[in-house]
Amino acid sequence: MDAIALENVTKSYDSVTAVSGVNLRVRQGAVLGLLGPNGAGKTTTIRMVMNILVPDEGSILVLGQPVSDKTRDSVGYLPEERGLYPRMKVRSLIVFFAALHGLSEDEADRRAREWLERFELSEWSEKKMVDLSKGMQQKVQFITAVLHRPPIVILDEPFSGLDPVNAATVKDIMLEMRDQGSTIILSTHRMEQVEKMCDSICLINHGRSVLDGDLRAIKQSYGKNTVHVEFTGPDSFLTHPAIAAVDRFATGVEAKLKPGADPQEILKAAVQAGAQITRFELLEPSLNEIFIEKTARA
Amino acid sequence: MRKIWLIIKREYVTRVKTKGFVIGTLIVPLIGIGFTSLIVFLVGHQSNQALRLAIIDNAGGLAPSVVGGLDAKLPSGQPMYVVTETIDRPASPSDIQDGLRARINSGALDAYLVIPKDLDKSAELHTKNPGAYAQFGPLTSAVNQAVVESRLNARGIHVDDVRDIVRSSDLQVIKVSKEGESVERGQTLGVAIALVILLYTSLLMYGIITMRSILEEKTTRTMEVLISAVDPFQLLAGKILGVAAVAFTQFAIWSVSLALLATYGAAMAAMTGAGAALAGIHVPGALLAYAGIYFFGGYFLYSSMFAAVGAACSNEQDAAQLQWIAMAPLVFTMVIYSLVLNDSSSRASVILSEIPFFAPVLMPLRVSLQVPPAWQIALSIGLLFLSIVVVIYCSAKIYRVGILMYGKRPTLPELVRWLRYS
Repeated sequence: MDAIALENVTKSYDSVTAVSGVNLRVRQGAVLGLLGPNGAGKTTTIRMVMNILVPDEGSILVLGQPVSDKTRDSVGYLPEERGLYPRMKVRSLIVFFAALHGLSEDEADRRAREWLERFELSEWSEKKMVDLSKGMQQKVQFITAVLHRPPIVILDEPFSGLDPVNAATVKDIMLEMRDQGSTIILSTHRMEQVEKMCDSICLINHGRSVLDGDLRAIKQSYGKNTVHVEFTGPDSFLTHPAIAAVDRFATGVEAKLKPGADPQEILKAAVQAGAQITRFELLEPSLNEIFIEKTARA
Repeated sequence: MRKIWLIIKREYVTRVKTKGFVIGTLIVPLIGIGFTSLIVFLVGHQSNQALRLAIIDNAGGLAPSVVGGLDAKLPSGQPMYVVTETIDRPASPSDIQDGLRARINSGALDAYLVIPKDLDKSAELHTKNPGAYAQFGPLTSAVNQAVVESRLNARGIHVDDVRDIVRSSDLQVIKVSKEGESVERGQTLGVAIALVILLYTSLLMYGIITMRSILEEKTTRTMEVLISAVDPFQLLAGKILGVAAVAFTQFAIWSVSLALLATYGAAMAAMTGAGAALAGIHVPGALLAYAGIYFFGGYFLYSSMFAAVGAACSNEQDAAQLQWIAMAPLVFTMVIYSLVLNDSSSRASVILSEIPFFAPVLMPLRVSLQVPPAWQIALSIGLLFLSIVVVIYCSAKIYRVGILMYGKRPTLPELVRWLRYS
């Protein structure tokens, strides 16, 4: 049984089609990256899974059940645009949301104390939300999304506003939840996070799913078509006809090759041009490149 | 149900704990009680002082007649005027006046009355406190009476005969109702107008509180998190019921303090006689019950409309512009209520009070004036509750769409279109 299964899901607002015939299966225990440019239909898709919106066509199953008020409690959701009652006290706010998700208030209170401890917010638990810094508010938001230990967690830009230490804590908790069998859907524009955390991705553009599947398989299907070169000296070899595009970094360059080009030709050209090569490596394309390519073409 | 209950509880607890609620609920009646007591006390206190009066009679022979007419009593039963001396036709009036003036300034005397030599001229009252109107009325009539008597005597007409002939008569208004008859001293009108103002302001206030509360959830984006936990309809129901519970609490506290005020006022009235007007106001229990039913009926009707407005807007400014949709019928009620006040059983009054949007204010108003036939009350309650169901259904649809919409304020046609969304 899949954690989430969308079949041919379509949703329109007036004349705008936000989501069109999307198919998506998320295996239980997987970490899925839900990607796509702004306005691609990600939020609409998530809202349909949360039973906030009803699809015009198609079916959505959550843990094998058609979406309903009951399935909503099996999903924890951290929306991208988020806020909490500014004048409520931190702990009573967390308990309120956990109780809404079906926990008893005693149990919610016990867990709230645990989580506040873990995020080093204990001394703030009787303060009002409005008195907290942006980063602290983000942590409280995260707690409200996961406190009821839902089997499925949907996190939209969970790291925004967090410093590296807190971001690492959130990442550790996500991986911990995955190890305990939770399914995680991570929606973000930060590709390096997806590459580190996700085992599969779904890329949505203009309301359609343009790429989905196992992340490693997708990258392999592109082949090693990129060379990473670190060198000193002339860079005239970068105009070689086999190179399609060049991306410059502080330490070196990444050159994307034209289909069928031989990387050895580039190395030869570089040596002939008199460049001192310190590193020459064949790479799979980064997810960033795949994203740009897929969304630009569509 | 549990989720609705949790939302009601949160709304109630956070709202009751606010400073605004405490001030509005506790301080306002306290201030009311304080002011009333102060006024009752001051009025009672002031009227317990007799006016010490000297009379200079330049015409001669009138002073005894004036003194005889000053038989008014204070609430305590003591005479209102103490005439310290009468000076008949003084040789040097200005010297006498200088002396009296000095005594007033030293506090030994409160006022002196000068009766002119020529009775066609005005008599003069020289007083330290020209604002104490209550003390002038009996004095004016006593002087008047003395002057008229002296003129009648001059023409050889017997005073008592004339007094018998010209004695005036009063018109006393008595209200007839099923309970019997009661003397009317303007209290029916007072209660009716107070009722209209109270119902109008409470419906408006609690409607706007509901709207603001939803708007706050939207502007702070708490809504995004909320709808991941509960159904929008549960959220709307919990919100409206939570604010209703706050309103109920506030009215309960006010009713108790009103009862205290009435008891206290009546006790003060019995002691001083000054609160007679207050004690004359009798609000029947049935009227309070109807006012309660129609308030809560009206609250559900209007607050669900205000809720839809709150959900449709993204900021206070837009809401201020769109709230006329919910406010218009309520404001219109205030324009037409005098129609009902003038003739509560006219055809226009009957029809207007059956219309659900006006009924919450107009029907209790009719009850306060003259209890309408039972079928009219039953019909208006029936229509009111039917339209509550319809309005809540429509508001819930607008709410469901609106809470996800940010950006420009929707137009009325857009709101209508939202009704058709699934």
